[in-house]
Amino acid sequence: MDGSLASSDPGPSFAKPPGSSGDSGPCASRSSGPGPEVEVRALVSMAGGLYPLARAEALRGLAAVVEKVGTSGGAVECCYGCAVELLRDEDQSIRLAAVRLIGLCAEKFAGREEVSGIGNGDQMDLIFLQLSSTARDMCMQVRIEAFNGLAKMQRVSEGVLLQSLSKKVIRTDTGSGSICKANKLPPKLIFPCAAGIFAHGIEDEFYQVRIAACKTLGALAKFSGQYAQKALDLLMDMMNDDTEAVRLQTLQTLFNMATYGYLSVQEKHMHMFLATLIDANAIVRNAARKILGLVNLPKLQMFRSALDGLITSLEKNPEEQDIYSILFSIGKNHGSFSANVAKHLAKEISTAPNGELILDKHRIQALLIVSISAPVSADKHKKLDIPSVIFSHAIPLLGRISSALGEDIIKDLSYLCHPSGMPFAEKGLMSGEGGRSEFWSVETMRGTHALIEKTRKETNCSDEVLIMGSMRLMLETVEETWAMRESCGIEEIRTILRTCKEEVKVFAIKSSGSTGAFLSFLCDYLDAIRCIVEIRQLIQLENSYAIGPTSLDILLEKLDTYVRRMKCCYTGLNRELEVQVLELVLLANLFRLSKFGVCSKLMLDKLHWIINQLDGLCADGSCEFSDFSNTVKQTFDANVIDGTLVVDICNFLKIFRLKPAKDFGMLNAASAVLQVLGNNSENPLPYICGLPVGVSFDISLSNISGHDRIWIRMNSGQSIQHAFLELSCFEGNDEVKSCSTVIPFYATPLACSFVLRVCLVIECPSGSICTHYEEHGGPRDSVVQLCDELNVYLVSTDTECKN
Amino acid sequence: MAIECLVLGAGQEVGKSCVVVTIGGKRIMFDCGMHMGYHDCNRYPDFARILAAAPETTDFTSAISCVIITHFHLDHIGALPYFTEVCGYHGPIYMTYPTKALAPLMLEDYRKVMVDQRGEEEQYSYEDILRCMKKVIPVDLKQTIQVNRDLVIRAYYAGHYLSKLKVLGAAMVYAKVGDAAMVYTGDYNMTPDRHLGAAQIERLKLDLLITESTYAKTIRDSKHAREREFLKAVHKCVSEGGKVLIPTFALGRAQELCILLDDYWERMNLKIPIYFSAGLTIQANMYYKMLIGWTSQKIKDSYTVQNPFDFKHVCHFERSFINDPGPCVLFATPGMISGGFSLEVFKRWATSDKNLVTLPGPGKPVQRARLQRASKSAGFPLYCVAGTIGHKLMSGKPTRIDIDKDTHVDVRCQIHQLSFSPHTDSKGIMDLTEFLSPNHVILVHGEKPQMAFLKDRIESELGMSCYYPANNETVSIPTTQNMKISATEKFITNCAALQARDSLQKSDLISSIHLSGVNEDERLAEGILLMEKSKAPKILCEDEFLKLLGTDRHSVQFEPLLPSRIEEAEAAIVDDLTSE
Repeated sequence: MDGSLASSDPGPSFAKPPGSSGDSGPCASRSSGPGPEVEVRALVSMAGGLYPLARAEALRGLAAVVEKVGTSGGAVECCYGCAVELLRDEDQSIRLAAVRLIGLCAEKFAGREEVSGIGNGDQMDLIFLQLSSTARDMCMQVRIEAFNGLAKMQRVSEGVLLQSLSKKVIRTDTGSGSICKANKLPPKLIFPCAAGIFAHGIEDEFYQVRIAACKTLGALAKFSGQYAQKALDLLMDMMNDDTEAVRLQTLQTLFNMATYGYLSVQEKHMHMFLATLIDANAIVRNAARKILGLVNLPKLQMFRSALDGLITSLEKNPEEQDIYSILFSIGKNHGSFSANVAKHLAKEISTAPNGELILDKHRIQALLIVSISAPVSADKHKKLDIPSVIFSHAIPLLGRISSALGEDIIKDLSYLCHPSGMPFAEKGLMSGEGGRSEFWSVETMRGTHALIEKTRKETNCSDEVLIMGSMRLMLETVEETWAMRESCGIEEIRTILRTCKEEVKVFAIKSSGSTGAFLSFLCDYLDAIRCIVEIRQLIQLENSYAIGPTSLDILLEKLDTYVRRMKCCYTGLNRELEVQVLELVLLANLFRLSKFGVCSKLMLDKLHWIINQLDGLCADGSCEFSDFSNTVKQTFDANVIDGTLVVDICNFLKIFRLKPAKDFGMLNAASAVLQVLGNNSENPLPYICGLPVGVSFDISLSNISGHDRIWIRMNSGQSIQHAFLELSCFEGNDEVKSCSTVIPFYATPLACSFVLRVCLVIECPSGSICTHYEEHGGPRDSVVQLCDELNVYLVSTDTECKN
Repeated sequence: MAIECLVLGAGQEVGKSCVVVTIGGKRIMFDCGMHMGYHDCNRYPDFARILAAAPETTDFTSAISCVIITHFHLDHIGALPYFTEVCGYHGPIYMTYPTKALAPLMLEDYRKVMVDQRGEEEQYSYEDILRCMKKVIPVDLKQTIQVNRDLVIRAYYAGHYLSKLKVLGAAMVYAKVGDAAMVYTGDYNMTPDRHLGAAQIERLKLDLLITESTYAKTIRDSKHAREREFLKAVHKCVSEGGKVLIPTFALGRAQELCILLDDYWERMNLKIPIYFSAGLTIQANMYYKMLIGWTSQKIKDSYTVQNPFDFKHVCHFERSFINDPGPCVLFATPGMISGGFSLEVFKRWATSDKNLVTLPGPGKPVQRARLQRASKSAGFPLYCVAGTIGHKLMSGKPTRIDIDKDTHVDVRCQIHQLSFSPHTDSKGIMDLTEFLSPNHVILVHGEKPQMAFLKDRIESELGMSCYYPANNETVSIPTTQNMKISATEKFITNCAALQARDSLQKSDLISSIHLSGVNEDERLAEGILLMEKSKAPKILCEDEFLKLLGTDRHSVQFEPLLPSRIEEAEAAIVDDLTSE
């Protein structure tokens, strides 16, 4: 590229006959001088030279210039004009370079249109035609380049596009306005030159050309629906191509079209689709399935044949579990067809001998999946009646299949997966209580569905609604489990609760905002309940001889933490929730009381405070003052005189009723991010033994109000140090606050290095009742961690220490 | 100089292609075919007209510089032994290697039919054919051959095929004498196929293109659609347990369909056997393996790794398999079920409605009549078409076919017609013509009304003059003539200086925004062309020319004179003044 033409001195170089032997290297670099105009002028003059190699090189140079320059200015037009002249050159390398250059220019023109907003349809059509005319070139590279160029075209009129598909010349007198414009074009570039370039392209001898043609076919589909439909016919033919690369490209193109919604499959295409579903190549099968999962099939017949194809595929390759998810999404996309399938399946189930149906059969599994997908479909305007028998059959199946379905689908399916994962539900089925279970699941399903339906319209946010719906169902389960605490073993209840929590966690991964806060609240709630159940168990078997911290102590501490988190770390709790949390706090304290047997002044004060708070919340009658609270209050009132409180915790536990809230409102979770930039075990901070060290923290707090008291807790070995964070120093709003601050740590140990464990804690207000923390100069009340502990690595600069 | 084009055959008709072109005194005969529709002297081109057109000579050898045969179909080569052995042409004959290999088979085959079956008088003997073939000089694709001092020829790949016999080695021929150049296409195909590629040629500066125009008006639909229908029918049949009979001829179609089916079987993981009846593969694949360079890119690519004609799913058929139960696909000869093995199988299988027979047939019924007409006159022998069972099956769906007086077959099987595309279609002709961009086009090998239609298209859309002469007509085409001119030194320096000044000015003038002027930079130079007798033409400057003439420069100057009416103007001024 670095030729003999010095761009700063264009005069003499122009005097040379263009293309004379020494000039074959045009200069497109060195733009520092007079700008691209000189380069363009020089190269254009060289492009008209005698020698083919020089001409080709000049065009390549122009392409380099065009790539470099902006969309404005005349340089692009100039290059374009030059390329058009050489489009019919005798030398194929020149034609190749010219086509490439035109493609680049077209991109620039399109870019300019985007900027200015003024479209020049005629020019685009003209370029399209020019490129099309080279798509039948005898040179393979030129054809590939022509198709590549066409793929980049923007805004091509429909008439031209349609012409490019059909070998027959579309008559200009019958065409739309844009076709008539073709009359203005130069005589050699009239309409027919685009005729059937794709029809030829996909039949090309070289697979590279076929691939390029295929890509272009898909890329242009966005401009015209009619074109997309006709292009599909051609693409369908390409699925029979003898080169695998072409077939894969075809599927890719179809997938792209389907993703952007330009794909409308007709009956005549089905045969081809179904053939690819049972292709010997797994990649082809997979791609074909993906497309099928996206397309919209207009007829029931096609829908059924697609199902049959998938089932055949499943039978042939049972290891390909993603077929299930495709079946589900197909069913979801065609709600009414799925309902139809469900109806037939229900009939089949009912007529099956002895009511037996082999669920292991792929066909039945597939049809069940399709059937249960109907309720989540978008066909909302129709009332989809899914026979209840379908669900009862789907339940045992889903547990096994759900692993094959992706996470998205699990989300959708949670309403059904849920009962199937529940041991008691399964037990119910197995122990012959099928009727009840079936009734329960279907009824709940319908109820939930109606609810989802209603809320969806309001929020228009299906995911959250679905999560909420399934969470409600889960809470009902928890309530039921609580009710079973007497009859069931602890292990069973623990399993149920753990399963529930796992599910919540699955949802929590993808959720954020209010839903995320709600889910994390739910996690805490489930943890707390599990603790309560476990504590209850321990209390019943209490071993008074235990010395030192027992598992009960640990559990009590855990319960305290969960309850405190629920109380302090969430804002926007509605009254109902607040009452519930307080009841849990009350219960936790009662546990403590029963543990120690005695009660201190502090403890009594605390209980008093809680009961008063509960009283206050329920005073206006908006919330029910539960039996439990009432009993506690009465006991408390009766016994408080002598300063001791004899608590029969078992009694209280019997009265305690778990009654999860029905409405959660908009929750916000307080959280914090604590960072020390640039610090890790490899890059520790320096300090001098015995002297305070300042550590610079980046702190960001979410959903922390100005009233909250936030502390930073630094902990190294035995020494704990709290530092209060002044929230007024933080920037930002209530939602997110952040600041960078340097906080000293005083008690550095006499060691070469140490790790400082730092964490942000929030103080839990408990009236004026102070805990023992105060003497350390730290928080008055109990605290809750806002974030995970952060390790800050420090290393002594003291040489003595190092030795 | 002009190109004289004498059409001896295939002018406004299909059959006996033969065009004699005279360029710069060199006479070339393109193709030397015979007409299958005639059994009299009209069968051969009227060679005597060559001598009539060349009054200076008395024999063909001196009148014609060379004969070039594009491919081995009888309508392109049928008259060659007659011309060489009977008429006595002894000059060079050029054809491609595959054509040379296959031509004697074709000629002998036809000679036998003529003599043995029809009992006609022998025009030439087998020995004549052999003697004739000995004179042939084989050429390779893109090999440039200097026939004599002026004439240069070069062959390009034409990719043509017919349904019955894929034409390996069909070529387009480029011929050049001096500055005049032309291309004769022969039969060609612009759409590639699974085993033969599309025609390939460079962009050449041409004065004349002589192209076939069999399908001057037809635009064929995509081969993909035909293949799809075929595969669908076969797959449906075998998956329902039926047997598929594909009667084919030895060469071409069988390979094409076999590649197609083999691929499909591989993809669909089908285990149903595909059979080749014995003898079908041996002869056919031999030629293909021999002539691998003439096939399509895919075959060429895969040839180094595996032999593409060794089909994975294809096995040999034993006679005892006929009555075996279960589905299968069978390729059997002959193509039109005129007898032999395919008839034997047909008799057994046609009675079941589960089975399928695929026949090569025209896609649309409209074309059928034309094709029959064409086949009569075109290159393939008559005994293939009329009266065969294949023909009967194609021309409607009979329920009962009488094989001879005593036997008949109840035809219950399904019949699938697989249309074929022997020549390039109108689109292909237009594409090639557009690509080559010759100054003139001559259409041959087509039917008159269609040719007229195509002529109009070429003239209106491509802006080339187009002719479609009838047999024995001559068309004369003017050619471009390039002349070598020497220029004086002063002229060249003058031009260069002028240009330098121009571009300097322009670079000053053109502001940094507007570059539109660059493309209109024509760089015209003025000079005087001096052509003297017996001297090379020369271009020189004005000054030099004056010096040469020995005269001074006379200049005529024009003074612009504007008529003015001073008096009136003065009067007007006076008027103005007075009015004030």
